[in-house]
Amino acid sequence: MSDHRDVAARSAQDWKKSAHHGAGTWLAERFTGLALLVLTVWAAWFAYEAMDIGFDKVRTLVAQPLNAGLLSLTLVVAIWHSYLGLRVVVEDYFDRNEGRGFLLFLVFLLSLVLLVAGLGGVYLVYQGGHVQ
Amino acid sequence: MSQNPPRPLSPHLQVWRWHITMFSSIMHRATGIGSIAGLAMVVAWLVCLGLGNEAYTQFLTLAASPLGLVVWFLLSLAGFVHLTGGIRHFVWDLGGGLQPKNADQLAFWTMALGVVLTIAFWAVLFVCHKVSL
Repeated sequence: MSDHRDVAARSAQDWKKSAHHGAGTWLAERFTGLALLVLTVWAAWFAYEAMDIGFDKVRTLVAQPLNAGLLSLTLVVAIWHSYLGLRVVVEDYFDRNEGRGFLLFLVFLLSLVLLVAGLGGVYLVYQGGHVQ
Repeated sequence: MSQNPPRPLSPHLQVWRWHITMFSSIMHRATGIGSIAGLAMVVAWLVCLGLGNEAYTQFLTLAASPLGLVVWFLLSLAGFVHLTGGIRHFVWDLGGGLQPKNADQLAFWTMALGVVLTIAFWAVLFVCHKVSL
């Protein structure tokens, strides 16, 4: 495998792979970013509304279907965008032999924890809001 | 273990002469990571809200304290600067502002807009008595 021709052949394979997966990642970064431009405006308004109104009113606010839905959507898109961004940071600064794979796994794990906890929180409030 | 030759990684900071697009690029990365910290705080807020009044009150004791507000301010600054940095990247991706002079101006004004949005957001919060120190 240390032969130059093998390396070149391998490299060409990687290039072709990248032409498919790379474009998808690039587009996903842009589309999630574009969506977040809009969702952040809503989130800023929501943060304003939810601030300093007390536990019960915040629960009622979050439990409204439209708010719970947009909160969940914002969480999913923001965590997806974060996952893509953190991957780039790891890939830029860590070589394959320097624990890149492990760090990418940690990035995935962090994203998963944020997603489950965030959506779980919204779900608990949404359920509670309807039980009351 | 790997039989591939070492691949080049991103250049390190010390080999670059300082210029504003380089600074904005570093800031985009830093504010992106800062925004993830902010996202984690929002998730913690939601989890506490879901767990009940006691957890929520404990969270707010920290989050609404003066130190907590400073942290929120910095996180929102990271978020807004990353957001306007994202607008800059969209402009560049669409092929605009790529002349060095225009790129420099775009880098400056998008970062400035991020700071202005942050200050405006917090000015509204203080004026409307949503937060107080």
